Amino acid sequence: MAENIIEVKNLTKIYEDGDVLAVDNISFNIEKGEILALLGPNGAGKTTTISMLATLLRPTKGEALINSYDVQKDPDKVRKSIGIVFQEPSLDGEMKARENLELHAILYGMPKKERNTKIQEVLKLVDLEDKAETFVKNYSGGMKRRLEIARGLIHEPKVLFLDEPTLGLDPQTRRKIWDKIQELNKGNSKMTILITTHYMDEADELADRICIMDHGKIIAMDTSENLKKQLSGDVVDIKFENLEESLKIPMIISQIKEIPGVKNVSFGTSEGERTMMPNIQLPKGMSGNFNPEMIQARIRETLSDPKKLIIAWKKMPMATEMFLNAPLAIKKKIAEMFDESLLDEVPDTIKEEIIKIKKGEADNEEIQEPSISISCENGGKQLPFIIQKLNENKIAIKTINMHQPTLEDVFLHYVGTAIREESSNHAKDMKRRIQMRQLRK
Amino acid sequence: MSDLNLVKSKVNYSAVWILAKRELMEFWRNKSRVISSLAQGILFLFVFGMGFSIVDIKMGGSTVESRAFTASGIAAMVILFTGIFGGMSIFRDKMFGFMKELMVAPISRRTIMLGRTVGVALQTMLQVVIMISLGVAFGYFGYDLSLIWRTILILPIAFLSSLGIVGIGLTISTRLRDMQSFGLIQTFIIMPMMWLSGTLIPLPPQILMFNPFSYSADMFRFILLGVSYFPFWVDLLVTVCFGTLLILIGAKSFNKMEISQ
Repeated sequence: MAENIIEVKNLTKIYEDGDVLAVDNISFNIEKGEILALLGPNGAGKTTTISMLATLLRPTKGEALINSYDVQKDPDKVRKSIGIVFQEPSLDGEMKARENLELHAILYGMPKKERNTKIQEVLKLVDLEDKAETFVKNYSGGMKRRLEIARGLIHEPKVLFLDEPTLGLDPQTRRKIWDKIQELNKGNSKMTILITTHYMDEADELADRICIMDHGKIIAMDTSENLKKQLSGDVVDIKFENLEESLKIPMIISQIKEIPGVKNVSFGTSEGERTMMPNIQLPKGMSGNFNPEMIQARIRETLSDPKKLIIAWKKMPMATEMFLNAPLAIKKKIAEMFDESLLDEVPDTIKEEIIKIKKGEADNEEIQEPSISISCENGGKQLPFIIQKLNENKIAIKTINMHQPTLEDVFLHYVGTAIREESSNHAKDMKRRIQMRQLRK
Repeated sequence: MSDLNLVKSKVNYSAVWILAKRELMEFWRNKSRVISSLAQGILFLFVFGMGFSIVDIKMGGSTVESRAFTASGIAAMVILFTGIFGGMSIFRDKMFGFMKELMVAPISRRTIMLGRTVGVALQTMLQVVIMISLGVAFGYFGYDLSLIWRTILILPIAFLSSLGIVGIGLTISTRLRDMQSFGLIQTFIIMPMMWLSGTLIPLPPQILMFNPFSYSADMFRFILLGVSYFPFWVDLLVTVCFGTLLILIGAKSFNKMEISQ
């Protein structure tokens, strides 16, 4: 069973003219009959990897065996062993669907008799029998994708490469393509499939194993379940009832963090984008016995007086961040308090924001409900304490949702942090990605 | 990769044929292309044929009827336009992604190139016949039975001549990065080659000798009208050398082309 159909050893690709390291010394094996999903942000090197395996690009270093043929020494045999569906369409629109398939069959050296039956067979597989005589340029995006999958199957490849097979397709078509992929992987032929995707649900649904790539390296490779287990414990997402509650969130976060068994607390749930709001760090010596009621009273007092607000913004960087991250309703309330003369004293960043709100430009921004996401060792044990803390602070809860970490949590854990760590290199990162895109052409 | 070796790599002839057939089919199906090539021929026949009909053209010792001169030149011109744009259609395949399908197929690059070249050359032959028929229809050539075998004789010449021109198109298209450069090529390659080849206007041989395309046009004239600037064997030799050279350059740049997604 453990027969490897793809073996990759120290595969490296450097784009010479740009001096870009696109794939950095990766090694992995894929077993026969396996579906492997290659995940990673744009520019991670997924497409470059597939291109090397498909003999389109010459590796700079390392080797890859497909169906026990070397991609560099035996490209023709490798090509006969693989079928590939590219990220962008690669059909000839000026030809009919059947002609596209026929041309493919001839290029792969199929005898005439076999050709027609096989073409009929793959057309049936992707439900395009009655559209066989239509020009491909008149096909919809989903039909083109299906035809491309059909084309990739004509010569009965041992391995099928699918590069973003459902990118930009509607949900029904996606579902249809997933079904086809699963169908191919079943039965006696049990095709090995290597798929790259951006969709976590796609990878979770289809793949036996998942390989996460970033910056040309493999950073994690395992089954979906095992990857999720690595982020052990549970995730508790809490949404709050009132927008005003968001002002109390920094405080409640520091309290929840003190509960034994809670690993991390962050703003926003995994569904929405996490807002990078700093957690309140209370002055030393105060953390033990501060009175939440008192702090809330102080905040309310400050909020009601624009003069005090200005002082707070000037003296405490945290206050500035709190304002910028506050929900729109609160921002609007605050903005109303400031007229032209008062605005002059306000720090620039906040001034801009207030002017924007007054003009009504911010109205289009999505109103995000205040929410937090808590990752803890055992949700069942820690949840009562969390709720207790919230009740003590009289914070009204809208919904609580406890779940196992999703693949998206895993992906963000690996890739998200990596990007954040290098945020100072962000511009460089972007440049590299753009460079790579140009070089591929 | 091993198939990059130009000489050793195998050629899959059924693949060459299907690729050539695709080229012909696309020309035939694309009615606007057929119509525009016809219309251009008719326009040139009218404008130049009528315009020059008042003068007789002297070549060597003999006098040539100017309309016949123009008609044979226009038939030769087809090679230039069809050849370069045909060679450049590789660029279109690159843009629309079809090239990737060819690149991952288990056929050598030589096969791909040969398929394309043969397809364009066949297409050229077809159009040359159309042009000569138009010339006959307008009465620019005399209705002579010998015209039939002359036309048949011209077909291999058209095929041979188009090889070098396709080579130019191939070389350009592998280096081209965007569609905008098409105009540049039109102005700096096609137009000078066309006007300085003696197809439409008679020019002194001292100018013509520097344009490789004028030798092809000269052969056309020799076969259709029996007059030429240069001896036939010189025309043939230059065309063969030029064709071989350009096809090799085209093949080389085509081989170097790396395509990813």
